[in-house]
Amino acid sequence: MSNPAPAPAELRACAEDLLQALPEFARQTPDPAAGEWGDEAFNRRALELFALQFRFNPPYRQWCLARGTTPDQVRHWTQIPAVPTAAFAEFDFSCLAPEARTAVFHSSGTTRQRPSRHFHNADSLRLYEEVLWRGFRRALLPEEPFPDALDLLILLPPAASAPHSSLVHMCETIRRRMNRPESAFLGSVDASGGWWVDPAAVWARLEQCASLGRPALILATAWLLVRVLDHPGSHQRRLSLPPGSRLMETGGYKGRTREVPPEELRKQIEAHWGLPESAIFSEYGMCELSSQAYDHFHVPNAVRAADPGRAQSTVRVRVRRRFRFPPWVRWEVVDPETGAACAEGAVGLLRIWDLANVFSVLAVQTEDLAVRVQDGFELRGRAAGAAPRGCSLMALEPTDPSPVANVPRS
Amino acid sequence: MSLPSYFLVDLPEGAPLTPQLVADACHTLRRNRELYLAHRTTSQLIGLLAELGRNWLQPDDPFRQRALQEGPAHTGFSRATLERGLDAFFGGLTESNLRRLLRQDLGDESVLDAFQPAPEPSRRVRALGPRLLVQVAAGNLPDPTLLSIILGLLVRSAQFVKCASEGSFLPRLFGHSLRALDPKLAACLELAVWPGGRHDLEDVLLREGDCVVVTGEDATVASVRARTPVTARFLGYGHRVSFGFIAAGVLHELSLETLADRAAADVTAWDQWGCLSPHLFYVQTGADQQFPSQFAAALAAALERWETRQPRGPLRPERAALIAARRDLYAVRAACGGTTRIWNSAGSTAWTVVYEEEPDFQLSCLDRFVYVKPVTSLARALQAAEPVRLHVSTVGLAAPAAQQATLAEELAAWGVRRICPLGQMQRPPLTWHHDGRPALGDLVTWIDWECEAPTGQTSAGPPSG
Repeated sequence: MSNPAPAPAELRACAEDLLQALPEFARQTPDPAAGEWGDEAFNRRALELFALQFRFNPPYRQWCLARGTTPDQVRHWTQIPAVPTAAFAEFDFSCLAPEARTAVFHSSGTTRQRPSRHFHNADSLRLYEEVLWRGFRRALLPEEPFPDALDLLILLPPAASAPHSSLVHMCETIRRRMNRPESAFLGSVDASGGWWVDPAAVWARLEQCASLGRPALILATAWLLVRVLDHPGSHQRRLSLPPGSRLMETGGYKGRTREVPPEELRKQIEAHWGLPESAIFSEYGMCELSSQAYDHFHVPNAVRAADPGRAQSTVRVRVRRRFRFPPWVRWEVVDPETGAACAEGAVGLLRIWDLANVFSVLAVQTEDLAVRVQDGFELRGRAAGAAPRGCSLMALEPTDPSPVANVPRS
Repeated sequence: MSLPSYFLVDLPEGAPLTPQLVADACHTLRRNRELYLAHRTTSQLIGLLAELGRNWLQPDDPFRQRALQEGPAHTGFSRATLERGLDAFFGGLTESNLRRLLRQDLGDESVLDAFQPAPEPSRRVRALGPRLLVQVAAGNLPDPTLLSIILGLLVRSAQFVKCASEGSFLPRLFGHSLRALDPKLAACLELAVWPGGRHDLEDVLLREGDCVVVTGEDATVASVRARTPVTARFLGYGHRVSFGFIAAGVLHELSLETLADRAAADVTAWDQWGCLSPHLFYVQTGADQQFPSQFAAALAAALERWETRQPRGPLRPERAALIAARRDLYAVRAACGGTTRIWNSAGSTAWTVVYEEEPDFQLSCLDRFVYVKPVTSLARALQAAEPVRLHVSTVGLAAPAAQQATLAEELAAWGVRRICPLGQMQRPPLTWHHDGRPALGDLVTWIDWECEAPTGQTSAGPPSG
């Protein structure tokens, strides 16, 4: 097999530059969006990257031209045109030539919908892995070095069986960097392509952690967590995971199971597994982005500081949740009516500028509704069904409970 | 003007509704019907309903004023949109239209009053409405609910109307306007609202009804049907979609601007929320290949004009977001080659026209968002709309007069239930066959009285009297 064509040298240099500049989060709390990542520096990097993407990404160039925007006119990153996530399903928003693409991540969705596609090569994957690892450590694993005793449980199928899932790739990266065995993955892919996890196996692993006193680090989608908690016989079961255990939860439900509001899910996890709310982290990510937001950050030793004598499950650490991205990402909540930025507290559409999206497009218009809360945002649902489907179903038929494939991401 | 607490829907928000309360209300309704409604004549009722219609058309009518003043906040429609919708509806509520409806659906204006001669020799017939009519109403727009109440009164039914959570404002005002005109008649009507899923209340209600009319999403209709006792008559009006067809050659008879203005009238009426509102317009490409895209551009201009004099109501962020996100996608398609084109209001989501050559039927996200698609023929359009065939209600037709009969036959054979001129889609006459059924006729039960033929005759008319 011949070597894939390289990405444009300018973009590789840009990615290298970003890698060199990535802050070491574990040692920086709270992280300052200043200096290297202050507005001025961010703006400079964003405009440079925009000019390159305008040059190397043909559909993006057409999109910018149609909006009357060219790099020489743009002075501020907020002026960089964002690509709607739905358009990733129809056009190749990539700076990589077709022969240069060695991997592709797909968005979630039902089998009837075309998924979004984000193309990658070795350079972009290297950057993705570095960026997700920094973001993950900053949120869930800030200890330096990270605790050796953590038992990793991933309620997802292993990477080999889900090659197009950015979420699985993320978890696989975390597993490798933590040097944990492949058996950390507890999920699988069934014959129809749907994701599946054996609730009994999850319970067994968690019970093992509890009895051995080994803290657990659990990575899961919300809907698979609900499956595990809803499993017959689970209602009576109570575990007490050791202090230091933590859980990353991500993804919507999209009709896969009954929907449980996040607060309710956290309560159930606390009740059944003995994980305090402060040890449960929500992640926000999507295949169209390289970076992730988290709704709060782990504070090591918080329990000990609060009350060293008491078990973790009895100590309440107040958590003020709001999603925050790492400092190489900027975002705005825009008024869908006018396209202008919303005031704090007003519901609008989330628009994201991710400098780590070097080889695709840095500006992404999501279909997620959000409100700005201080320095972060809260999610308020989706502009459901925005992408028109063939006249097949929309609103005409009751919800289709057929099995769904693909990744519950975004 | 403050409304007294008269109907259940007038109770303060959060007031507990119980199955017993619903059962008691049904009992009261049945009793009041016997006292105040069952013995009224058709002529009396027609006169009263027509007066009600006239009242609602008066600019100083307190109920109309309140509907227009407070309606925008309650319904999401602008004052101008409400005004136009109410005028269209109540303008049709006349004595002559009501009489025509009776003759059309029942054959005879007096058949609800007493036995009448029938075409069959030696037979007399009489029609009776259900004693208690239960209605589960949809919330998208008020017309169907108001019309159902009117039909129920006409057939002397006591009525319990369960309004949709967000659709109770206008039915409530209508109920109070009836009460102002004839309190005894209003005593035969109950209006209530409760959130979906209150099966404890609904099951009591469904057991009480002699006839159950449900309007709403297919899932709602199916759910209520499954819970309705087999002894009750069930009338379900599920989800419907509509579209327009514009034949090549119509420009010989109409200007492009008139055509676009009529289409815009259909899109803007009730902000496209009705089952009779068009999701898209199929435009036939004739000799002039540019006609469909020219129509789309003209429609955009017409929608902009309508917006200035009859603005769309404000949207909640999630609905505006739906439009914004969908527009974005079509704008990308338009930018990245292909033949997609998009026109939309600047600085707002007020209106959107998307032109796409791919003919598959596309559901709109509503609120004045409409598709235009070129087709070579009506047959091609119907082929593209096949996936929604069982859900189609109305086709707004613009075609040269000489072609209309042929096109109407083609539409009827395919499954369209109502064909009307472009510009009239959201203005069905009072007598229209709702989803292809006689709405009044479906409510009544026929009583046949087969009279003994006089001696020596094998066939004769019934005794007079």
